[in-house]
Formats: sequence, structure tokens, C-alpha cells
Amino acid sequence: MAEATVIKPDLDFVKGVIASGGESLKKCYQCATCSVVCNVTPDNNPFPRKEMVWAQWGLSDKFKGNPDVWLCHQCNDCTAYCPRGAKPGEVLGAIRKQSIQQYSVPGFMSGLVNSKIFFPIIFLIPALILLAVSGFSSIPEGEIKFIKLFSVEAIQFTFTPALIFGFAIGILGLMKFWKDMKQTGGVTSGNLTGSIVETAKEFLGHSRFKDCTVSRDRFLSHFLVVYGFVFLGIATAIGVLYIDFMHVESPFSLGHPVKLFGNIGAIALLLGVLLMIANRFKNAAKVGKGSYFDWLLIFIIFTIAVSGILAEVTRLADKAVLAYPIYFVHLVFVFSLFIYLPYSKLAHIFYRATAICFAKYSGREKPLKTSN
Amino acid sequence: MEKKFGVYICKGCGIGEAVDIEKLRKRAALKGKVSADIIKEHQVLCSPEGLEFLKNDIKEGTNTLIIGACSPRVKTNEFDFPGTITERVNLREFVAWTQEPMSSDAQSLADDYMVMGIIKAQKGDLPEPNILPDLSKTILVIGGGISGITSALEAADAGYQVVLVEKEAALGGWGAKLYKQIPREYPYEKLEEPIVFSKIKEVESNPNIKIYKSATIEKTDGQPGLLDVTIKTNGTSETIRVGAVVMAAGWKPYDASKLEHLGYGKPNVITNVQMEEMAKKGKITRPSDGKEAKKVAFIQCAGSRDPNHLPYCSSFCCATSLKQAKYVREKNSDAMAMIFYKDIRTPGQTELFYKTMQNDPGVLLTKAEVTGISDGGNGNLYVEADNTLLGEKIKVEADLVVLATGIVPATRAPQEYLDGLTEAGKKGDVAKKEYLDNTPKPEFILNLAYKQGPEIPSLEGAYGFADSGFICFQYETRRTGIYAAGCVKQPMTIADATEDAAGAALKAIQCVEHVAKGIAVHPRAWDITFPDPLMIKCTSCKRCTEECPFSAIEEDEKGTPFYKINRCRRCGTCMGACPERIVSFKDFSVDLVGSMIKSIEVDEDEFRIIVLACENDAYPALDSAAIKRIKLNPKVRIIPVRCLGSMNLVWVTDAFSKGIDGMMLLGCKYGENYQCHFIKGSELANYRFSKVKETLDKLQLESDRCQLVQVAISEYDKLPQMIEDFVARVEEIGPNPFKEL
Repeated sequence: MAEATVIKPDLDFVKGVIASGGESLKKCYQCATCSVVCNVTPDNNPFPRKEMVWAQWGLSDKFKGNPDVWLCHQCNDCTAYCPRGAKPGEVLGAIRKQSIQQYSVPGFMSGLVNSKIFFPIIFLIPALILLAVSGFSSIPEGEIKFIKLFSVEAIQFTFTPALIFGFAIGILGLMKFWKDMKQTGGVTSGNLTGSIVETAKEFLGHSRFKDCTVSRDRFLSHFLVVYGFVFLGIATAIGVLYIDFMHVESPFSLGHPVKLFGNIGAIALLLGVLLMIANRFKNAAKVGKGSYFDWLLIFIIFTIAVSGILAEVTRLADKAVLAYPIYFVHLVFVFSLFIYLPYSKLAHIFYRATAICFAKYSGREKPLKTSN
Repeated sequence: MEKKFGVYICKGCGIGEAVDIEKLRKRAALKGKVSADIIKEHQVLCSPEGLEFLKNDIKEGTNTLIIGACSPRVKTNEFDFPGTITERVNLREFVAWTQEPMSSDAQSLADDYMVMGIIKAQKGDLPEPNILPDLSKTILVIGGGISGITSALEAADAGYQVVLVEKEAALGGWGAKLYKQIPREYPYEKLEEPIVFSKIKEVESNPNIKIYKSATIEKTDGQPGLLDVTIKTNGTSETIRVGAVVMAAGWKPYDASKLEHLGYGKPNVITNVQMEEMAKKGKITRPSDGKEAKKVAFIQCAGSRDPNHLPYCSSFCCATSLKQAKYVREKNSDAMAMIFYKDIRTPGQTELFYKTMQNDPGVLLTKAEVTGISDGGNGNLYVEADNTLLGEKIKVEADLVVLATGIVPATRAPQEYLDGLTEAGKKGDVAKKEYLDNTPKPEFILNLAYKQGPEIPSLEGAYGFADSGFICFQYETRRTGIYAAGCVKQPMTIADATEDAAGAALKAIQCVEHVAKGIAVHPRAWDITFPDPLMIKCTSCKRCTEECPFSAIEEDEKGTPFYKINRCRRCGTCMGACPERIVSFKDFSVDLVGSMIKSIEVDEDEFRIIVLACENDAYPALDSAAIKRIKLNPKVRIIPVRCLGSMNLVWVTDAFSKGIDGMMLLGCKYGENYQCHFIKGSELANYRFSKVKETLDKLQLESDRCQLVQVAISEYDKLPQMIEDFVARVEEIGPNPFKEL
């Protein structure tokens, strides 16, 4: 007979999950309808039933090195079918938030970023930093050129470190997470390269989203947002190429590759995030409308997209009074996105990818429904 | 009474279209030996004109009416003619609605039923109630807990004198030992202050209630209306007369010392009763060192739903543990309450309280098989459990463990003692004496001076609870006029107990009022007939005193039986038991039913089968089948009986010697979860039937021709097929060889 496992209930963890958007947590009475209706859970030891009771009992240890909460794509089929309104989808979201806090150093940063109380402050600080970088300049005269407000060097010396910081913390977290998963799962070996390639393929095709039933629309919105960012990334890269190596000064003409990628990306991003908002309202009755944790990220992305587009439009319309402040707001939010990357919901790009990769690596994976 | 007969045939509800009324009149006159002129027909007898028509005849002297119309179970108000013998023949349900219209089968069925009705009216007599003198309407309530107090108040408020007897020095029972109570009202979120204290005040100031504290019942003698109860208080005895009794003797917690496997005996393992005491005193602490308990584990079903301890569910322990979890949480918001359950059972609206408690972050619940409690050092304990929702064998540290122990009814110990005594008695006088010398005698509750023993008898499957007729009639016990209330009857919460106690008080009131009018109590709560034996022929065989389910028959010094008539429920079990066939009711006797059987027309080429149907379940089920127009086999003739217990074996002889091919008894389910309204009727009939089968075999008459079938009222849709199956079996055996004789 197997040795009994000592479990350590932690009331603070329970309260934490409840406070993070899992207020329905305690309603679960373990019927397991959620695990039955879930299309993305592996058949063996499926989620989210077990996660629900672990969270009810405050067994934070169980979530250490647990890929399952990240295999969940929050389709919310579970929530739609839950007979008691326990909203497992929302609860798992709250647990993921706890998990980000657990892995992204320093831990308090995650709490800070995701706490409603600090809502204005978390944007005020980047604003002050950027103001300082701009030298507290007033609105520049003449033809609108954003480099008059922030020189290329100023942008590169603030945003590059911010992005590197974000990724570094995220990668540190995912490495810790990977180690924990190996230890928890007792996994010693596997095909790492193959798993990474497979994960990348799954990500690029967004294939897992297609297994959702209730929130199938999320495929399109998430797809648009992701590829919006990809295009914007490409635009930035080309921009760097032109500015730093070919010494072309911005702004670029509308037919320029930088603008082409940038504008397509911006429109995709805006459409995607608007769809996300619409879907959340449309499905709110069925699956819940999400927590602060979710809405914060949506808010940041939405602001980035809108301010980016408006900055361009007002610039072309030659409205300096509007163009420069909007551009400033745009930069504040992009900067925030970068530095809060490992603490906000956006950190899921690290942990979900790692979890999916680990599931492939360890053989704990459900074959895609849509692939056959 | 000199009988003047009138026979009436109703043509309504399809009867006129199903049988030839003219033929029916002729045959009934011929076989019933009545003049054809007194057989009248009417289009709709229950209409105002029809009733006027009947009442005119009654005015003109007709006092014995045979009405061939609908089932006697319907239109009872319309066909109620006081001072007459009114016999109703079920032509509608048993013929018009269940047979092929105008068939020869329908015709001969109607003929037989009409003739049987006429014979029954001829053989019967007009009953007069038997009202005993010097009746008391005082109600005795035994037990001063929440149930007893509620019963006392309800009866007193209804205007009856009440005597309340409590064993302890103070009223209140377990309800007074609680810190708080499970919520009884929407939204089922807030714990209530114990309600018993205000009720104690009410009961102590009520002028209609006389209270005896520190008192026990030394003896209960007599019968409803005339119960002489000796109450012993502090060494002095007093005898008072009461009419009926509410027995609310309550319960004891299960003996936790038997729960060593759940850690009882370790200092920090307590029971739910101890938890109440602790909460009442203040903080929830560990007995070992007085430190505040922050991790409290509740083990549900501690000794309950366990064949080695209490096999049943005590109903309130889940809600109680949820309540005590709230104590833990309210007294310290950092403390956790972990509940390990088999299933959470919170009946009724208590479910809402369960939901409330589930929502508390500090109340952790899991299904679990608790396998043991081990020491965790420092006085801490490990709860070890298997098959939990947490998925594996687990161990959780707790600083206090609360065992949710169940209840043992106060009736159990006396029942077990008395059952042991009966068993010992069977082994002989030596064994009996040894038993009496060596077995500690538990506290008795009633100390009845009854032939069948001093307490409510134990019942298979009731685990010592004072249960009887439970499915339909929860307050009844097997001692007429004694009604059980509260946890002595069934585990229940305080909210349930107060409702239950009010119901029991009403039953006790009904009893004293019926007895005052000479009417039977449940279930024949209209019946003024009573068993009237022809004592000159009694052989004192005592079969009746043994078999009476209600101990209504006592024996005098010479061993001759006599009735304590107010204990009698008129089931007729004595009539079925009596080998001399001397027990009769005015409208029901061995001869009367025998004559009905013998009147059935038996054709040599036709199969004829008699169905004796219990009036309580089987007969209504047949009526229900008829309402659904399910065809009944035309070869059967249905005769209602008060209870299968009244089935006298001579009827079998009557039937088979007459050439009847088969006999079917339709009665209630017996054994565990029995449904018999008279507890043992169908079981006794089955026993008697097994005896007759031996005789039939000896006569080379296939014993399969007799069969008892247990049927519930809800099985009406299957019943016609059960009858078909039996008829088919008899047909397979072939005709009764006595037919030709």
C-alpha cells in the first residue's frame, strides 16, 4: 500500500485564490462535470476537478510544478456546465495568478501589479520615468516628429532594458517551473527539442483553442492579438534595421515596410482586443466576465492599440497638441507591458508554453481533437 | 333490528352499458333469495334525485341497503345513511370499467358480486359503539426535551390537561445543552440561540400542564382512555389516570468509548457533545494543554452507518458538524475546520445551511474513509484517510478531532434486554433465570402491565427505534394510544422534532376523542364495530393473545382471554387466528365471508379464483387499476378483508370444497420495510397459508392453488398482470378435482 501523503492546508492560499477572482471556489461540490466536459485536459488524472478541491483545501504545494493549471486554456466549458456555479475556469485563472506570483521574482511585484489598489500607480511610475527621459519637455514645435520628444537613443535605452528585464524574469521563472515540474512529475528524460518544436507549432497554429466549445470565438481574438504583436515586433525590427543601420530617420512613409507591418499589426491588435472584450461580455452569463487580473491585461493591450493608432492618425492630421500626448501615453503603456510582462497575466506566455512543452516532454498530453 | 331490505342498482358511469340490468335483477333475486320487487334500478344513484330515491325508501322503513354502484371507497358522503346497514357492491370498478361490456363474463361477475353483497347484508348486523365508562382525556407526555415540551404545549393549547414526566431534575433535554442551534429559517446562515429555554418557561407557566421532574413511570396499566400510570418521584409513587401517551423519551449519544479506532481516548479527541459543552464555555481549545485549537478535524459518521456500530444515519450529525465548524470559525477567523464525511446528509432546507458553510474559506470538506487517528507529537494528531476527494491516501495534521457520534434511542436498551429475555426464555427456565440474574436491567420507559411485554416491542429493521407503520403513519406505535415523537422514533433535528411533536400531540388528542365515541383509532378511524367473541366456545388456546399485534387481549387468572377493547384496532387478526372461529364483528365474521365465498357460482367448465384483497393497499390498488381501465381477469372474484391477518383458514376449505380452483391473497409487504397497517397481518397470513399448503398436499390438491402476493398501493399498474399470472398458473394445474363432487 502506498504511503499516505501528508497534506498541509493553508487558509491564506484559499483566501488568496478567492481574492484573485476565484470567489466561486468554495461552491464546488466535486461532481467532476468540469473534468468530463473539458476538451483540453488529458484523460488521465484530468483537471480541473482535482485543482478545485486542492484549492479549496489550500494545498499550495500541489500547484508547485503542476503543469495542469497551465494546460487549461480557460475555454470555460467547465464553467458553462458547472451545476453549482463554481466557475472552475475562473478559479483556475485565479490559481494561475497565484502561480505567477510563486515563480516570478520578486513575488511581491506580482501582487502589486495585480492589485486593484495600485491601478493608477503602476502606470504613474513608468510615466514619471518617461517624463524624466524626455527631459520634461513641452510639446515640440514644427512638423510632428516623435523623435523630437524622445530621441532614438532615449527610446532604445529605456525600452530595450525593460524588455530584457521582462524576459529575463520570465525565463528565470519558467526554468524554476520546469525544474519543479520534473521533480513533481518524477520525469527525468524526454525529447526536449521535439517538444519545443511541437509547442511552437501548436502556438503558431493556435490549434488548442479550437478544442474549446463555449468560447470558440476566443481562437480568433487571441490569434489576432498574438499576430498583431508579431507584426508589430517585425515592424520594430525592420525599424531598428532602417534607423540604426541604414540611418533613415522616422517617420516613415505609409508605403514603407515598417509602416506596412506596423499598421497591419496595429489593426489586428485592435480588432483582436475588441473581440476579446465583446466575447467576455457576450459570454459573461455563461462563463463569468473575468477578474481584474484578466481585465488589466486587456486594458493595457487596448490602450496600446488605440493610442498607437491615434498617435499615427493625429500625427498625419498634424494635430501636435493631441499627437504628442497620445504618443506619450502609448509609450507609457508599451513600457508597462514590458516591465510587467513577468508579473501580469501576460506572463502566461512563459508558463503556458513551458507547461505545454512539459506535457509533450513527459507524455502527459491530450491529442488535439482538431488534428485528426 | 328487524331488517327490511332494499337492493339498488345504479346504471351510471357505464354500468348500464356493461351489464344487462334486467338479467342482473333476476339472478340477484333468485340467488340472494330476496323478492324481485325490492331490487330497483336508477340512472344515477349519487345524483340528488337518486339519493332522494334512496332516502324515500329509508323513510318508508328500508334499513338494510345493498347498493350496486361504484367502489365503496368513493362517494362515501353521498351513501352515508346513519342507522342503516349499507352494503356497497363495486359494479363500476370491478365490472363496468374492467370487463368487456355485455359479455357473459361481465354478467356473471356482476351477478356474483351482487349476490355476495346481499349475503353480506343478510349475515351482518347494525353495529353499536362500545363506549367504556370513566374515560380520561388527559395526555401524558414522557420526556421533557424539545419534543416532549412541544407536545405538551400543543396539547395544552388545544385545551387538554397534560402531565409531563421528565427523568432529569430539569427540563430541556439535549436541546438545553447546546451552545447554538442549526438555523431553521431562510437564508439558513445564522446560528440560532437554543429555542428550548423559552419553551421551558411556557410549559412551566401553563396551567393545563402538570410537571413531574426527576420522575419515572413505574407502571402503565389499562387501555387508552383508562390508562392508570404510576409516576415515581424521589421515592414516592402516585397513580394518575390518563387517556393517551406521547412518548418522547429521546436518545443517548452513541458510546464513544467503542470508537477507539477513531482515536477516542486520546486527550484531544472529543465527541460532538463535548464540543457543544466546550463552545458553551468559550473558546475552542485542546483538552491536553488548553491552547486554542486552530486545525479542527470533524470525523462524520463516527460509529454511524457502520454495521459494527450503528447501522443507520443519525440525520443531524452532518448539520451539527457544519454548525460546530461555524463555532470554530466564528471564534477564530484564522482557524480551520476540516470535515471528513462519508456523504454529507443535510435533509430538507438544511441543504441551504450546508451551502452557506461550504462557502466559508476556512471550512474544508472532503469525502473520506477515515482509517485512523495517529499521534503527530505535541498533542497534535494525524487524521489518516483513504479514498478522499483529494485523490489518495492522505494524512492531515489536526490539533483537535471531533467525532460526530450518532444517536441511540431510549427505547433500544429496554428492547434489547427484553428480546434477550425472550430468547433466554425459549431455552428454558434455567436459562431465563440466569439471564435475569446476570443481565443488568436498563431503564424502562413505559413499564406496561400488558400481556405482550412492558415496552414498545422491537421491530425488525428499526434498530431499537419506536417505529411502526412508519411509511404511512409515522406516529403510530404497536401500543394503541401511545404515540412516539422526536428522536425516540427516528433521528431528527430540533426543527423536525418540534413538527413531529405537534403531530404526535394531535394523534393523542384524536385517540382520546375517538375512544370517547367508541370509534377505533388509526387506521380504521371511522369504525365503531369491535370484536365480540362467543366466549362459551373459547378453549383458551391463547392464539389470539399471542398474535394480536397490539396486545389488546389479556388473560384472566384462569387463562381465559378478554379484550381491552380500547387497545384494539379492529384488524381482525384474532378472528383469523381463532381455530374455534368464535370472533366476529357485526359486519365481518368467519361465517359471513365464508358464506360469500360459498355463494359464488361455480361452473364445471369455468375456472373460478378467489382474491382476498387487503382493504388498505390491495383493494385501493385494484380500484386504481380500474380507473386506468386496465382489464381484470374475469375469472377472479374479489372479496375485501380488513387485513390479511383476519384470514381464517376455514375459508380455504370453504372455497376448495365448493369447487373454487384457486385462492390468491393480496396483502402488504412484510418483513423489513413492511407496509402492513396492522404490522404483521400479511406475514401471519403467509404463515397460516404455509400450514394450509401442507393440508392441501395431503388432500392431493396442489398447494400452488394458494398464493399470497405482496403488493403496494403504487403497484396498481402491475397488479392486473400479477392476477393474470396466477390465473394462468392455476389453469396449468387444471380444474379443482372437487368440482365434480
